[in-house]
Amino acid sequence: MNLNRALVRLYPTSWRARYGEEFTALLEERPVGPFDVADIVLGAMDARLRLRNLHAAREPGGISMSLRIGGMAAIAGAALLALAALVSMGLAETSEAVPGILFVTGLALLLVALAGMSAFQARAHPRLAWVAFAVPAVGTLVSVLGLVGMSIVGEWAWTVWFFGTLTALVGSALFAVVTYRTAALSRGAALLLGVGSVLPFAGLVVPDSTIVLPPAIACFLVGWFLLGVHAIRLDRPATVARPV
Amino acid sequence: MQTKLPEFGRLAEPTLLILVSLSDGPKHGYAMMQDIEAGTGRPMGAGTLYAALARLEERGLIEPLPPVDRRRPYQLTAVGATNLAEQLRGLSEFAQMGLRQLGDSQP
Repeated sequence: MNLNRALVRLYPTSWRARYGEEFTALLEERPVGPFDVADIVLGAMDARLRLRNLHAAREPGGISMSLRIGGMAAIAGAALLALAALVSMGLAETSEAVPGILFVTGLALLLVALAGMSAFQARAHPRLAWVAFAVPAVGTLVSVLGLVGMSIVGEWAWTVWFFGTLTALVGSALFAVVTYRTAALSRGAALLLGVGSVLPFAGLVVPDSTIVLPPAIACFLVGWFLLGVHAIRLDRPATVARPV
Repeated sequence: MQTKLPEFGRLAEPTLLILVSLSDGPKHGYAMMQDIEAGTGRPMGAGTLYAALARLEERGLIEPLPPVDRRRPYQLTAVGATNLAEQLRGLSEFAQMGLRQLGDSQP
């Protein structure tokens, strides 16, 4: 598979000479999802850093993707998006750029969350897990372009930002579906996220969107927050007893 | 040769989990990942697994066996088994001390 070959090529040549064959065989044994790709990218960085520091007194301590990183990114992303919403409603006085920066950073963190929390989902539904990651990734990029565009060409770029944001919502809805189906994390939180991701679309058709949007935003943010908390709780060190 | 956990930095736990997984016999990477996920309920990515395997092999705690169908099994060395036993004993003593103290403070 091309993706597997591309991932192995991220590692240094000497590493590939030693581990390349067995590593490729391992990647072929089960579907590779966003979590695995993020973990392999970090693993390749670690291998390159180690090679560079081979004769140093201390070698790099290792970097890896984990449910914990995904969970922390989900909580931070939800918090930043909540802050962006409060600031844009005028509840805090800031410069015009602040809500946009908070919003974009929040969306980027949710992408990290999607990768970090998708390990189990990708085994059961690899295609759905990949679509759930790729769609909001494109949406976030378009949203950033829209925000930058608004500062350059003015309100015209608002439409670009708006469609980028809707795409990010579609991705969150897909992640909610795949998480609910696999029961990899809290199903209640996945349900909340799903409702929060779909409700804003109802706001496009009802006469008064202010009825729909506040609960939608609340469900969306609380859903991500709770998924993050659950991921962190699952990622307890093995030396700490698990809840009975 | 004695290797304490902190030397592995952030890979301390993955290396311990791999040593425990290999404690009942040689395993290849995929079997170790399945074993660790079943035991901890958490995923271990292939990047983390091989970063930890490379360090363990370098320190002589595990050794590779000839590959079978491109999959290479690994096994604990005598040093690795001793090191694992030390680590587990240390954890066990720490847990017992904690339980004793907890018992002492309970009414």
